[in-house]
Amino acid sequence: MQLLRIELYKIFKRPRTYISFGIITAITFVIQLAMLSDGKSFIGFALQGINEQFDIHGNILNGYLVAYIILQSLLIHIPLLVALVAGDMLAGEANIGTLRLLLTRPVRRSQLVLAKFYASFIYTVLLIIWLAFIALFLSLLLFGKGDMINLKSDAFVMLLQSDILWRYAMAFVFAVLAMTTIASMSLLLSAFADNSIGPIISTMGIVVVLTILSNLELPLFNLIKPYLFTTHIIGWKGFFDDPVPYSAILRSSAILVLYTIAFITTTIIYFNKKDIRS
Amino acid sequence: MRKYLLLLLLFTCCAFNSAHAADASALFQSLRSKVLSVQDYTADVKMNINVSYMRIPQLNGTLYYKAPDKMRLERHGGLSILPKKNINLTLSNLIPGGNVTVIDMGNALIGAKTVRVLKVIPDDEKSDIILTKIWVDETDLVALRTETTTRNDGTVTMDLEYGRYTNSCLPDKVTIFMNLKDYKLPKGVTMDYNDQPQPPKSTDKKNQKGTIKITYLKYSINTGLTDKFFAAPEKQ
Repeated sequence: MQLLRIELYKIFKRPRTYISFGIITAITFVIQLAMLSDGKSFIGFALQGINEQFDIHGNILNGYLVAYIILQSLLIHIPLLVALVAGDMLAGEANIGTLRLLLTRPVRRSQLVLAKFYASFIYTVLLIIWLAFIALFLSLLLFGKGDMINLKSDAFVMLLQSDILWRYAMAFVFAVLAMTTIASMSLLLSAFADNSIGPIISTMGIVVVLTILSNLELPLFNLIKPYLFTTHIIGWKGFFDDPVPYSAILRSSAILVLYTIAFITTTIIYFNKKDIRS
Repeated sequence: MRKYLLLLLLFTCCAFNSAHAADASALFQSLRSKVLSVQDYTADVKMNINVSYMRIPQLNGTLYYKAPDKMRLERHGGLSILPKKNINLTLSNLIPGGNVTVIDMGNALIGAKTVRVLKVIPDDEKSDIILTKIWVDETDLVALRTETTTRNDGTVTMDLEYGRYTNSCLPDKVTIFMNLKDYKLPKGVTMDYNDQPQPPKSTDKKNQKGTIKITYLKYSINTGLTDKFFAAPEKQ
């Protein structure tokens, strides 16, 4: 507990930590501004296939839809923001030479790794809560409430406004799980490095490459897709389908938990054997 | 003698056919007058849209109609979805107006009820409706089914069930069957979550059938709705 408190203190003392919150706020504001000024044409473009056959009236561009668009846009960015802190946890200490000093204290290495992981987890939870607040509640304030439209590649899903808030709550919980997997991977990469730039860039590189593989419609990649964590980190979208594919979401959650456990275990095993020179 | 008998038979047949056509035409005109007697209505409705690519819950709302073709669904802050304006949901819009040619197609059965089938062809070549088949219940003078072939929107079939508002020719339940085009967006744009179970797909990808079921709970007829009401701007 004491270790965790120290790790949290270190995280929230650094100005870098608050950059993530600032970036989320900035991206959200930009998207909200774009939707306020030109949202109608965006919606018109997205709905052109449906509008040929149906007339849809009402507040389509409401807070729920804008929040969904923001979450979709931030899919690639949030792992970077998580890596900014998690990737620095071990490598940052090695870089400034405090890791060796830290390990001279009567603390097991595995305890230290777990404390750093829990601290990263708490940071991730706070980041997602901030995202929920700024993306959902601010959008609802700016654009109002309404039924939500979710456009999939082969389906048009409409959700009644009384049936949406719980979906967002579950989606944010799932997002915490997905980003925790990213944090644990970043922590593993951080254990391998002696400066924090490497783990942060490596995390982003892995996420970008695997996301591309997850989205390419090629038979070769279809074989490996179910095993990539990037295929599953978008599982939050399942909560906006009707009916909700609970079994698929549970499978995705289980895969993400397994990845997280594997990353943390590998980190502990590697870090226990690591020759700390700085 | 035989010649006279043949001529008499031919004359009788022609007279019978002509009387039958006149009868069918009169039946159609009576039905149209009854349908057009409703100038406007407001109705509480429940709407179920069943289209393969659309997942929409039951929509409850208020449907406003003004003759000949104005319609608006209001859902108290929610979204309203209606088929394109030229495939209107009302009987009056699916029955051709102006001069028409009515052909009697004889009798048919809808459920246990014997109905008269009329084929109606508008004389106006520019009319959006090319042909309408109407299954008429002569006892109550209501249409139980219509099959309308339009110039731009294919064929629309409508089944109607009557109850409390039979006298005004307003149905309690309407089921509309329509042909719809396929819907597709690139996966790169939508970034779908791939692990979702895929619903069974229609074999005919370009044209799919869709049904819209409307249950009318309560009507307020001829309340004097204005055109302005239908032109009210709505937020999108």
